[in-house]
Amino acid sequence: MGKRFVMGLFENENAAVAAVAAVTEKAWNVEKTHSPIPSSALAEALKLKKSRVGYFTLAGGIFGFFFGFVLAGFTATRWDLIVSGKPIVALVPFFIVGFEFTILFAVFGNIIGMLTQARLPNWKRDRFYDERCSGEHFGVLASCPEGEEKNLAGLLTAHGGEVTVHDA
Amino acid sequence: MADSYLSFKEIDRTVLSTLEPATRRYWTAVVLLAGGVMLGAACWAYQIATGIGVGGQNNPVAWGTYLINFVFWVGIAHSGTLISAILHLFRAGWRNPIARAAETMTVFAVCTAGLFPFIHLGRPWMVYYMIPVPTQRTLWPNFQSPLMFDVVAISTYLTVSSLFWYTGMLPDLAIIRDRAPEGSIRKKIFTILALGWTGAHEQWRHYARTYLFFAALATPLVISVHSVVSWDFALGVVPGWHTTIFAPYFVAGAIHSGLAMVLTLMIPLRRIFKYERIITVTVLENVAKTIIFTGLIVAFAYGTEFFIAWYSHNAAEAAIFKWRPTGDYRIGFWIMVVCNTLVPLLFFFRKIRTSLGWLFGISILVNIGMWFERFVIIITSVAHDFIPYAWGNYAPTLVEFGIMVGSFSLFFLLFILFVKHMPSVSMTEMKELTHPGGQEHG
Repeated sequence: MGKRFVMGLFENENAAVAAVAAVTEKAWNVEKTHSPIPSSALAEALKLKKSRVGYFTLAGGIFGFFFGFVLAGFTATRWDLIVSGKPIVALVPFFIVGFEFTILFAVFGNIIGMLTQARLPNWKRDRFYDERCSGEHFGVLASCPEGEEKNLAGLLTAHGGEVTVHDA
Repeated sequence: MADSYLSFKEIDRTVLSTLEPATRRYWTAVVLLAGGVMLGAACWAYQIATGIGVGGQNNPVAWGTYLINFVFWVGIAHSGTLISAILHLFRAGWRNPIARAAETMTVFAVCTAGLFPFIHLGRPWMVYYMIPVPTQRTLWPNFQSPLMFDVVAISTYLTVSSLFWYTGMLPDLAIIRDRAPEGSIRKKIFTILALGWTGAHEQWRHYARTYLFFAALATPLVISVHSVVSWDFALGVVPGWHTTIFAPYFVAGAIHSGLAMVLTLMIPLRRIFKYERIITVTVLENVAKTIIFTGLIVAFAYGTEFFIAWYSHNAAEAAIFKWRPTGDYRIGFWIMVVCNTLVPLLFFFRKIRTSLGWLFGISILVNIGMWFERFVIIITSVAHDFIPYAWGNYAPTLVEFGIMVGSFSLFFLLFILFVKHMPSVSMTEMKELTHPGGQEHG
């Protein structure tokens, strides 16, 4: 049996959240939601887990700290010349280099984390996406087995949604 | 706070209308500023062809307006991060209408600042000495030097603030893409720039986390950057420089000048782009209140410097602090004191801090005062060093003035090009602000 997709567009967040709750209650699937702002209510209704971007950030930061420290130490030992009475491998000034590299690489990790986790960039056109969702509408894309799309569309309409039915 | 009755549609309409084709007055401003940039470039080219001696720097004042402008522009950059990152972490909603423009100011101010070490080098092609790659003599940079801290800190700051700025723009770029006519060049450009953003819950989930970490990382970075800049001076054993208060003193001064520049940019922007319902007087008033706070910190730092000079019984330190308010550069000193510490106190009066004319006028005076603060710090200390027979004064030359005009023109040119072609107010953050029960991203 084929799958049918129904997109409901809502003018406010509360209606979209109620629609998500109703769809999941009926054992249909919420495939995706689109919103113009981050919505904690939608995230709660969808029972989203915490993002793992932080691990990338942390890994980047740890790498950056050691990289900065090792780079400064390496360049200092290439020319063993005592400057201003400081030791060749001077921990205090190298800490500053280590700190700056920690932030730099943590940010690189952060960006890599976001791009890989959110699957960006993705220039392939999403056929279900309605451009009004970047402006003022909240979109809920739900799926159901073939033949039930009318019921699903009815449910979304009952919650105030403007509905479009898509084939699989 | 912004007008809470603004609907999502009105926010989009107001911001998108600023991207409509520009008027002749706009292009006249662009041409004038481009002329200023050309003047600066011509002066720099003349300096490269003739030699660094065309500037006024000489013994004992080897650091002149090039270093003053470097510190000035790095300082200007700081409040952008204060507004976008630090106030974001504090959940200060009033920063949302001005965050984008302040971030833009940060990025362009760092770019402008970054030019000055090149200009000051005299032979800019020798910059590779500061990059950690082996030269033909396998000579590596010395990371014990505060000048190398600077290279690392400023390039990190430019990279991080640019990425933060672009990441923050992603949802807005998608709005412009979605509103652009099908098949238009704008649609194509913004389709690429938006990276395929659709506001899907999976995207928001990771984006919100990323934005929060960005803010958390940018906060210590911004404090470290101007601290590092201050150590260019404080690590030198020069009277007036060699002091432990320099890092917090510079950071407070940077935020002070940056906030003043925010007002200088926001007030005309608000009027020209009809942003009255977005950048309300309350928002500008909050910036003014923060300026009172930073002005008091700066005043405390000025006082502390004099106290240290007196209490330390250090003859050289005492001499320099006696000379600053009474010597050859006393006018600069008093401009600094009056504009940075006394004039901002006018913001204690509600009538003044809610009047656009006063806000704009005072912001210009604080900018002037902060430029003179860098002049006083950099010039006076080396002009009157330890040995009286080596004393000498400094005055900028026409070439230096030309390069300074070029730097200001470049900053304002980049800013006006940006605000006319990209979203100068974050539509998404404005929606979060006006949305009942909405969360800030992150």
